[in-house]
Amino acid sequence: MSVLDKLRLGGKTALVTGAGRGLGRAMALDLAEAGADIIVASRTQNQIDETAALVRTQGRRSLAVRVDITDSHSINAMIEAGRAAFGQIDILVNNAGGATKGMFRPLDTIPDTHWHMGVDTNLSGAVYCCRALLPSMVEQGGGKIINITSGFGVRAAKNNYMYTAAKAGLINFTRALAMNYAEHNIQANLILPGIFPHDDPELIEFWRGGKFIPVGRVGQDAELGPACVFLASNLSNYMNGQMLALEGGGLAGGQAPCGFAPVVPLEEDSV
Amino acid sequence: MSLAAFSLADKNALVLGASSAIGRAAACALAEAGADVAVGSTLATPREQEAVLTCRDAIQSQGRKSLARTIDAANEADVQALVEQTHSELGTLDILVNAHDLPFAKPLRDISSKEWCRVLEVNLTGVYFACRAAADPMLAQHSGRIINIVSLLGERGMINGSAYCAAQGGVLNLTRALALEWARSGITVNAVGAGWTEGMGLLKDTAVQEQLRRYLPQKRLAQPSEVGEAAVYLASDVAGFITGQTVWLEGGALSHL
Ligand SMILES: NC(=O)c1ccc[n+]([C@@H]2O[C@H](COP(=O)([O-])OP(=O)(O)OC[C@H]3O[C@@H](n4cnc5c(N)ncnc54)[C@H](OP(=O)(O)O)[C@@H]3O)[C@@H](O)[C@H]2O)c1
Repeated sequence: MSVLDKLRLGGKTALVTGAGRGLGRAMALDLAEAGADIIVASRTQNQIDETAALVRTQGRRSLAVRVDITDSHSINAMIEAGRAAFGQIDILVNNAGGATKGMFRPLDTIPDTHWHMGVDTNLSGAVYCCRALLPSMVEQGGGKIINITSGFGVRAAKNNYMYTAAKAGLINFTRALAMNYAEHNIQANLILPGIFPHDDPELIEFWRGGKFIPVGRVGQDAELGPACVFLASNLSNYMNGQMLALEGGGLAGGQAPCGFAPVVPLEEDSV
Repeated sequence: MSLAAFSLADKNALVLGASSAIGRAAACALAEAGADVAVGSTLATPREQEAVLTCRDAIQSQGRKSLARTIDAANEADVQALVEQTHSELGTLDILVNAHDLPFAKPLRDISSKEWCRVLEVNLTGVYFACRAAADPMLAQHSGRIINIVSLLGERGMINGSAYCAAQGGVLNLTRALALEWARSGITVNAVGAGWTEGMGLLKDTAVQEQLRRYLPQKRLAQPSEVGEAAVYLASDVAGFITGQTVWLEGGALSHL
């Protein structure tokens, strides 16, 4: 088999949460392009219907299921619906997540409700999905889990508490999955997206010229799809508990502002 | 996206250290993905010459162009000449894979300064030579992919590993620094992190291999192809937003407490 053939996902079913728009939709469409059937889930019916329709125009089967990932009953029902439709689920992409109420606030002003919503949305949801799906992945002899973390999962930012803690928790949760399920031929890895403003004109304007990003540009949603295909495919079968960061170089630095470039020749008496 | 987006057709690559198991696997995988691939050895020895010629033949038998040169990866002139030859015979240099590897493990007090310097020169300084030589064509065409192969010892320590760990850790952090330096020049600089892999220089002893199989979450060592093939992804057009990163293929080794 050629190395490029290992990327093919024909005959597999992928469940992508938060696939109604944004990065989740981009990943769902590329998984479909690689041959997988797709279960598309989020809270907003018309958005998941739209993604599912796009998957079908690619010639793959698709099912849109409403889910609230902060509610484990809702998640269990989603997994049941997916299994009923496709028999088995081989690939789980825990992508649903993002900003929640009061995301950028000083710690002493964060009420319990906001804290729980942030952590439930960006950590517990992925945990519930894995908990519901892993037994059947073990039974079927293998699977792939792809969790979407964030630069905030490895570095901190001003007045960002629950998102940063939850996305960091997701990283070590993924390592725990790797430790426990590697023997069952299940690989759990992370994608870390950098700045992906989608088609939001304000965000695009703010990041114009790629300020603060070493490569000088933001990410395009479509760039995330191939990374997801790589992690869902047999090409990454020995990668486990690891992270694939698509972020234009920011994490390679981070001790001084972007573009910091001192020049300090050796003193004559030091050579 | 179609899967053709991962293809390396019309790209030219140079793999240093194609005499090692992982280097050879990377070279063959790049060729399988459509690239023409020049190969160099780690050491200028008859055994390594044999290895790179075999690798060249394997690439050519896939219908790709190749050339092989027996070099010492720590020799600046050797490395420069191979980069130039690749550029002139294949036409461009789009992908550089630094897979050259001189395995070494000894207690620190037993390491002679000659050994220390040699290990650092081949494993670390050789990467600097290759990156610098490749920068000319890559900066001129405003595009390029540099992929450094490191092992778990670039990230974690090991008894008797001081020299080797220092060199590999050096390569990892050089990867980050260079990624930033060339971030706006169209060149991405990344690493492929190899877990414990069949055929690795440090794993000649089968008892050691057994010990690792028991320890590793995935309960097996990597095949060289599983590591080498990751270079295809990083070398492809779809990986353009990834730079300064290490893609680890390590069977969960780094997740272990
Ligand atoms: N965009 C970036 O720059 C960036 C950077 C780093 C990490 N990320 C991460 O990447 C993932 C996707 O981000 P994005 O930018 O594509 O976000 P987005 O455009 O806001 O989309 C988020 C998706 O998740 C769904 N979702 C959110 N809360 C949910 C809930 N409680 N239950 C079910 N579905 C829920 C949303 O659907 P409904 O609201 O309709 O339910 C939507 O489909 C997130 O995990 C985010 O944290 C994004």
